[in-house]
Amino acid sequence: SAQPGQSPDYVYFDRNPAIFTEDAQVRAKGAQLKLENYYKITVDAAVERNTRRVEMERRLLEDVTTSDSRRNRQLAQLGKKESTFLRLKRTKIGLNDFKTVKVIGKGAFGEVRLVQKADTGRIYAMKLLRKTEMLKKDQLAHVRAERDVLAESNSAWVVQLFYSFQDPIYLYLVMEFLPGGDLMTMLIKYDTFSEDVTRFYIAECVLAIEAVHRMGFIHRDIKPDNILIDKDGHVKLSDFGLSTGFHKHHDSNYYQRLLESAKNSNSTKAASRNSVMVNSINLTVSKDQIATWKANRRKLAYSTVGTPDYIAPEIFLQKGYGKECDWWSLGAIAFECLVGYPPFCSESTHETYQKIMQWQQYLFFPDDVHLSAEAQNFVTRLITWAEQRLPVEEIKRHPFFFGVDWNTIRQIDSPFVPRLNSITDTSYFPTDEIDQVSEDASGDSTAADKDLAFLGYTFKRFSVSSHAF
Amino acid sequence: SPSPQQQPKPLYLCSPFVDAALVKGNFKTIVMLPKYVDIMEWVAVNVFDFYTNLNEFYGVITDVCTQQSCTTMSAGPTLSYTWINQDRKSVHLPAPTYIDYVMTWVQNLLDDENTFPTKSGQDFPPSFPSTIKHVYRQLLRVFAHIYHAHFHHLLHLRSEPHFNSLFAHFLAFGQEYDLLEVKDVKGGSSTVGIGALWERWREMGILEGTKQ
Ligand SMILES: Nc1ncnc2c1ncn2[C@@H]1O[C@H](COP(=O)(O)OP(=O)(O)OP(=O)(O)O)[C@@H](O)[C@H]1O
Repeated sequence: SAQPGQSPDYVYFDRNPAIFTEDAQVRAKGAQLKLENYYKITVDAAVERNTRRVEMERRLLEDVTTSDSRRNRQLAQLGKKESTFLRLKRTKIGLNDFKTVKVIGKGAFGEVRLVQKADTGRIYAMKLLRKTEMLKKDQLAHVRAERDVLAESNSAWVVQLFYSFQDPIYLYLVMEFLPGGDLMTMLIKYDTFSEDVTRFYIAECVLAIEAVHRMGFIHRDIKPDNILIDKDGHVKLSDFGLSTGFHKHHDSNYYQRLLESAKNSNSTKAASRNSVMVNSINLTVSKDQIATWKANRRKLAYSTVGTPDYIAPEIFLQKGYGKECDWWSLGAIAFECLVGYPPFCSESTHETYQKIMQWQQYLFFPDDVHLSAEAQNFVTRLITWAEQRLPVEEIKRHPFFFGVDWNTIRQIDSPFVPRLNSITDTSYFPTDEIDQVSEDASGDSTAADKDLAFLGYTFKRFSVSSHAF
Repeated sequence: SPSPQQQPKPLYLCSPFVDAALVKGNFKTIVMLPKYVDIMEWVAVNVFDFYTNLNEFYGVITDVCTQQSCTTMSAGPTLSYTWINQDRKSVHLPAPTYIDYVMTWVQNLLDDENTFPTKSGQDFPPSFPSTIKHVYRQLLRVFAHIYHAHFHHLLHLRSEPHFNSLFAHFLAFGQEYDLLEVKDVKGGSSTVGIGALWERWREMGILEGTKQ
């Protein structure tokens, strides 16, 4: 049966997967995917481990003051860390390894808890994401890519992820706990910030966003809820679209529906020619409106719809967007810090959306708030069409940031340093507003995981500081 | 040269299946002991992964590896492995029973804090190397049975590149850490099916490690 030119061993085999049950075929595909994932991770890990070693050897060799014995000690130390990391890979980590101290946040897809790792006593923030909700949003590719970014990042501007694991119902992210709460809570408390304070937070956000962009990632959902405050009062970004990538307002269908409802309201107008329709444009936001918005602010943060207040118009248009969209969001946040509410806040998300689409008519600085010309100009250079928005180098050079030392800002004192009584102090979280009855987590983390959609989600950080142990 | 009367060549030795692979090249980079790393930890995590991955593929073919289809733990035309039972007697077992015993035994070892410690500060027992050698040998038998009795099933499921790579990695690893006994693949009087595969892959150079 061999053809010329082919090996004499050549055989034809008539493949017929149908001799297997559907279930077995699915298992086969699963085993293949898992093995592909395994080799990808294994090769990456080998490369990274090698890089760490070469880097350390190079550093030790460059430093002529290091004695041989010290050098060897340091290399042995690295080997020990790598070995511990290998051990961690064999360790099953699950919900049972953590004790919940308190529920500190509710998000669109679950909740955030303050937890303590039972064996080490270390404190973490644990985010629970409901798998069904995420699957509904149909953005699994995003979740994987984005979790990877979070997992690989070592930036001081990004919340560190230590473990992720899953059970049949939830994905779990175990991150560093940032005891200072978030910018949304601060804004609810202080209403507005002075220009100096605003400058500090916005400048830190500029560096944080820049760091995210350098990792090749666009956040797309920067808002005060995702700007967290560490124990020294400095900023870190969370939520790399991990959940927000799944947000209804990131769901293309949701955008489509919004767009259609906007179109339809025009066509009804055209159809009912006889009726007199005045499309009034409110340049001012009424005090009532602001009050309603503020009262609903936290509720909005907990809802699955989320708030579109900080989203750039090009995202709604679905014609593609670049990293500029994050600078629009920052402009909206700067506005809110200075004025007390975001520029396009309305009573309904639909109205907010329409204002954003016609931002030229709605961007308006209220008379009763005094803003410097620099601040006002800064905001308008971000809340503008993507092509005209300032790029990061020009943002940093903008007069609003006069006096900011971009290299040392994270080392200087923050205007608000959280006062904490213990490592589990949650006074910067609205825990009494949050239903403490936590989600009913199944706790069965050892159950065979058949959810291929979430393959490769389970993660353990190689931690140079050995914080993971 | 083979006479036509001989058994037809097993499919896993035939082209194009013999060199179907998910992982191309040789396994040196992922088999070699990383510098400064504790060899026990390295072997432990790798054996852990081999077990997990093999278990995954065995799970795929459990429907076709039954008491009826595989009455013995066969691994070649004239070879079936025997299990040493509680009375220290060698007994023939149907392959699914044999494999279930192996997998349960290994799983229990992996879960046993005294054999595979996971807590920090807990050392591996002095018997660890010999335990690992046993584990390796039994897992090798599971591979051998699957190749001998179920390779065509893997072909139907298009899993041969994956399974080949897993096995080649397993062999390369065993060679590197002296877990692989040549007699276990070459056999004595009765040839192990996978022995020929091992040789083919060695000739092809994909099993090359730091030692050979
Ligand atoms: N690492 C952390 N440390 C301390 N608090 C945190 C941490 N992560 C999240 N939180 C708190 O939990 C709240 C909700 O978290 P997060 O915003 O990540 O949830 P979410 O489900 O992704 O919601 P959304 O997508 O609307 O932001 C945050 O606003 C913050 O108050």
